[in-house]
Amino acid sequence: MNYPVWEVPHIGSGWVIGIIAIFHVMISHFAVGGGFYLPLAEQKALREGRRDWLEVLRRHSKFFLILTGVFGAVSGVGIWFSIGLAHPEATSALIHNFVFAWATEWVFFLVELTTIAVYYYSWNRISDELHLKVGWLYAVASFFTLFIINGILTFMLTPGNSWLSVAGSGNEPTKFFQAFFNPTFLPSLFLRMAVCAALAGVWALVTASRIDEGSPLKAEVVRWSSKWVFAAFVAIPFFFLWYLWQVPESQRHLLQLGMASIGQGIFTQLTRTVVVLVSSSVIIAGVVYFLGWRSPATFKFSNSVIIIVLALFATASGEYAREMLRKPYVIGNYMYSNGVRISRVKEYNETGYLKDNKWLPGGSNSVSELTKGQMMFRGQCMACHTTDGYRSMKRLLAGRDKQGIMNILKVLHEYKDDSPYRSYMPPLVGTEEEIKALGEFLYTLVEKPTSVQTAEAATVSPSAQSPQAAAK
Amino acid sequence: MKTIAKQIYSWCDERIGISEIVELAKKKTVPEHKHTFWYYWGGISLLFFIIQAFTGALLLIYYRPGAEAYESVRQITYEIQFGWLIRSIHSWAANLMLLAVFVHMFSVYFMKAYRRPREIGWLSGLVLLSLSMIFGFSGYLLPMDELAFFATKVGLEIPAAPIDALGGLIAGIVGAIGIKAQWLSSIGTSIASLIRGGLEVNEYTVQRFFALHVVVLPAVFLAVLGLHLYLIQKHGNALPPAEEAKPPELRKSVPFFPNFFMRDLAMWLVALNVLILLAAMFPWELGQPADPLKPAPAGIHPEWYFMSSFQVLKALGKWFPGITGELLGIVIFTAGLVLWTLIPFYDNSSASGKRARRATWFGLFTLGILIVTTIWGYLALK
Repeated sequence: MNYPVWEVPHIGSGWVIGIIAIFHVMISHFAVGGGFYLPLAEQKALREGRRDWLEVLRRHSKFFLILTGVFGAVSGVGIWFSIGLAHPEATSALIHNFVFAWATEWVFFLVELTTIAVYYYSWNRISDELHLKVGWLYAVASFFTLFIINGILTFMLTPGNSWLSVAGSGNEPTKFFQAFFNPTFLPSLFLRMAVCAALAGVWALVTASRIDEGSPLKAEVVRWSSKWVFAAFVAIPFFFLWYLWQVPESQRHLLQLGMASIGQGIFTQLTRTVVVLVSSSVIIAGVVYFLGWRSPATFKFSNSVIIIVLALFATASGEYAREMLRKPYVIGNYMYSNGVRISRVKEYNETGYLKDNKWLPGGSNSVSELTKGQMMFRGQCMACHTTDGYRSMKRLLAGRDKQGIMNILKVLHEYKDDSPYRSYMPPLVGTEEEIKALGEFLYTLVEKPTSVQTAEAATVSPSAQSPQAAAK
Repeated sequence: MKTIAKQIYSWCDERIGISEIVELAKKKTVPEHKHTFWYYWGGISLLFFIIQAFTGALLLIYYRPGAEAYESVRQITYEIQFGWLIRSIHSWAANLMLLAVFVHMFSVYFMKAYRRPREIGWLSGLVLLSLSMIFGFSGYLLPMDELAFFATKVGLEIPAAPIDALGGLIAGIVGAIGIKAQWLSSIGTSIASLIRGGLEVNEYTVQRFFALHVVVLPAVFLAVLGLHLYLIQKHGNALPPAEEAKPPELRKSVPFFPNFFMRDLAMWLVALNVLILLAAMFPWELGQPADPLKPAPAGIHPEWYFMSSFQVLKALGKWFPGITGELLGIVIFTAGLVLWTLIPFYDNSSASGKRARRATWFGLFTLGILIVTTIWGYLALK
């Protein structure tokens, strides 16, 4: 706990990342897929001498530039900002391992942003050939941004034995390429490219819907864009299965937890989310077929909005499922989802979790038990739980007495092989005294929530506990 | 491959007459105007009904009515592969179907699609809505958990009292002219006992509701639905008054097949996606087994589509304690229902005269009352 804690009431910090990330993925994958759509469509138009197509593409590239260059770039920075606050330990680990990769990615970002601006502003100002080359340059740059971030994201799920063998030794960068080209790198890259193609088609339908109704041009563009969705629809299941095949058995097992039961709702979330992902993906293809392919000349703007909303469902469930698939880790077999490194579990249990905490006024011995409990909660639970909102502790512990809460904490602390919590949750680390303090804190949440504030106010001022105050 | 498909089509066509149906569908047109969106809601209601029939059949494989009702639903929810999903889809589809039927009914109302010659379409639609609500009420008890038990208990007791009161009033009046009809004063309680199969909700009630839910209601519903669909096919989609006022050459329409049919299918897919999203992310839970000896859980309330009437009865009972409130409740509901049902015979002219305007205001008033009292009902629970 060397970092300040970012407490987001009700929704939790994870959802701040989630909300930004869902929109960002919708846009950033369009930035890659659309990057290929534009030059391929332009090439086709030039080959067939279709100037009317070029005009549509010019309009589409304006929409593309604004959406990806402004919203995509801003939401990307938003993700950086929020993950740094919500998961500082994991972000730190990633930066230490992949600083070279990120530096390279930023170069590609720069090329991407520059070329798309040149691409749009040079329509009808430079030769067709040169304009097309600019388009292809953008496509290549955008592909490599995906290529690099894909390596880092898949590393978090499957870092690979090679990297894990040096993890924590200070020599992690020596295994950079093994970590980057990890077991799920390729299937994930292909899967994401297929998603990029689908989103390129979906977003292009927005532009196509604005073409005059009933015109043959509209019908052609709608159908050509629909093909991107259909091609992706055929390819995605194969890449998805390939991806799952590469995922470790322990993580694949999470998918099965919700098949026979909805018991302990949180543990079945992955299965339920995948149900939404699969159904939304199939339904998008069906809706594009019925609204776009079968009636291309009368395809309306409202139709394209329906498809975008469906794509948002699919993206949201896909991203959520990907995050859940990593449980109980944030970096597979290296760091738990609450930032605790596996290698330090024993040490925390013996010498205490709060000894590293820089945010306890006067050290861990000078504060009340409730404050210690709250610090334990903030450090070890709050990455996934809130007190009264998303995965609310009040709701989850409702009706339990102090002993009942302590029993759960004991199960989490012992972390036996047959523990039902093991699939999803990290072990609870700390000394007996710290765990008891956490139990006391949780009990106050359940029994009389308002008294928590009173108790806390008596022991330590809330402002002194906030990251902002601590940073001062 | 194409030749084989053609041969199969020809074989079927010769025997069933597919091409005749397609030809008929191609000739049919659907008006296109700014309110076309509302035409989809009848089809969406139908989709949810089909889904319920399908998932209901799957649930029948494991569901055991009677004493084992709760245990069988527990198995479906917690042990059988994707049993929870089928049950959740069934329950969510029921709610979404009622929502779609309400939207469909109000869109028909405000587009004045009940006017001549569509009066029977309106009446059959109201019968379908009533049947859907009874479907919902009877299905709610089948898991026999705590909430289902007490909601059904309260749901049967609440209307029994005012019906008894009304019966008592009638018995008093006819008693004055020498006719003995004291049995009328307990008619509501007697009907409730008959439905329950006893004085309390018990396993026999589950048996009765089960029979009602899977045999009686579907049989009646399918017959009325057949009539309703036939009438739509016969009369086509109604034009809203603003469109009807336009000269025929300015009105737009699209062929039902394939144009509107394809859009209809797309809307079905969108509705299906919403259903799956709700069913998967907010799965239908199962509470504790029903225990008649336990007190009713706090905040017990009916499903949202009964909340309006529940709240009105509750409020009237509070404002006018005793028999007056109960009588007032039943008179208001009966009068409202009769007026709503008979609206096609009041607003029967295609001209936008006084009656048309009054009917529109009455519709807005009814919609407003439904929304306000439903929200009020939920707020009152807190």
